[in-house]
Amino acid sequence: MALSKEELKKAIEEKAANSPKPQLYIKDFYACDPDTKPRDMKNVANEMVREGRLAFWSSGSTTMYGIPARIQNEEGSGS
Amino acid sequence: MAKRETPLLDQLESGPWPSFVTDIKRQAETKPECWDILGILELSYKDRITHWKHGGIVGVFGYGGGIVGRYADVPEQFPGVEHFHTVRVAQPASKYYSTENLRGLMKLWEKYGSGMTNFHGSTGDIILLGTRTENLEPFFWDLTHDMNQDLGGSGSNLRTPANCLGMSRCEWSCYDTEECCHSLTMKYQDEIHRPAFPYKFKFKFSGCPNDCVASIARSDISVIGTWRDAIRIDQAAVKEYVAGNYPANGGAHSGRDWGKFDINKEVINLCPTNCMWMEGSELKIDDKECTRCMHCINVMPRALRPGVDKGASICVGAKAPILDGAQFATLVVPFIKVEKENEFEELTEFIEKVWDWWMEVGKNRERVGETMQRVGLPTFLSVMGIDAIPQHVKEPRSNPYIFWKEEEVEGGFERDINEFRAKHKA
Repeated sequence: MALSKEELKKAIEEKAANSPKPQLYIKDFYACDPDTKPRDMKNVANEMVREGRLAFWSSGSTTMYGIPARIQNEEGSGS
Repeated sequence: MAKRETPLLDQLESGPWPSFVTDIKRQAETKPECWDILGILELSYKDRITHWKHGGIVGVFGYGGGIVGRYADVPEQFPGVEHFHTVRVAQPASKYYSTENLRGLMKLWEKYGSGMTNFHGSTGDIILLGTRTENLEPFFWDLTHDMNQDLGGSGSNLRTPANCLGMSRCEWSCYDTEECCHSLTMKYQDEIHRPAFPYKFKFKFSGCPNDCVASIARSDISVIGTWRDAIRIDQAAVKEYVAGNYPANGGAHSGRDWGKFDINKEVINLCPTNCMWMEGSELKIDDKECTRCMHCINVMPRALRPGVDKGASICVGAKAPILDGAQFATLVVPFIKVEKENEFEELTEFIEKVWDWWMEVGKNRERVGETMQRVGLPTFLSVMGIDAIPQHVKEPRSNPYIFWKEEEVEGGFERDINEFRAKHKA
């Protein structure tokens, strides 16, 4: 049975916080709840970005998600 | 920002062709930070490695696309390009602009950015090159509120859809590409502005098989106008072409004398499926063999026109050469009706079916064409609920990718080996 939206958000947050990688692809979150459809998963992840619980990292061609405090920020990092 | 010495780049101005170096120097007269673009590029030429860092968390609130972060890795040396983000702005359908709109856009970009642009990027967007993070939100506010324009797509989003001129200028357009592109752009706003997929996804709309927007080479779903009845022939006009009274190709290529028009040499013998011939002075076409290459129609536009039962073919899976080389889209749906009246229902149903499958099965950073290649066309067709037809098979003998399933074969795959051997020696 699919997790409730709040349970799913918690599972996503936990995965993003504990993953060795600071940012993850949307598909990496599918494992949080195999019963949630991919389209619903991206809706929840995008909602979490609007709430400030996740942030986008984009290379320009691909977009990844991460906890705002962990995500790799190039700004001001110099060489 | 001080003027930079750029001896290596200066060589690029020495040829007979226009140079981007000259353009940037001209822009630097009013935007001194442009000297730092030349400076950092000169340094890259010397060091033989880029000094740009690509990507980041820049964006505008609520959007997960449209801005591509770019930073210099030597900001102390080139403070003018410490931040140099790219902004993608959705282009108007068919790229129709008014001068008022273009002036407005440029004024906005001179205010918030470097003033440098790229009209247009490969996907079709207006590319505005070079701004700082703190300018993004004010720029976005003015763009959306004053100019009534929107950002385009980037990242793992649906990219800004693009279309040819369609029925606005072209008699051959088999469906209203502008209406279709606009409707689908509005329908899929969430997919354009927020990441949804394993990787980028593009669709493009061409009104006829001339494919002026090159959708078959550049888009994951390519919607190309076509017809399923016969090419309309005006035999009187054919005679005029043969007599040399009408210029071939609508008068294009008329800069030199090509000699008298020869219908056999210039049309019939160039037909890729040999489906045309002359009977006396009448041109005949075996339409069931026609592959809609458009050559005959292009050469004799007053004599030949597309049929009247119009719609589109859908090809899936084109991409640029990051993995396995560039790939053209594969024909998946030979004919589909593309109608505004039902809000392009058949087309959107197909698109969403592809998305649902690809979101599930596609790997990270895998274009849908690569997923199709990985699983094979029969699997893709079966998921889409499409029966295989001969046109799906490129090379029936060497590439037999249509396989029978046991339930489709009379008697199944089980057989009595003794009975078989009685007729066939080992």
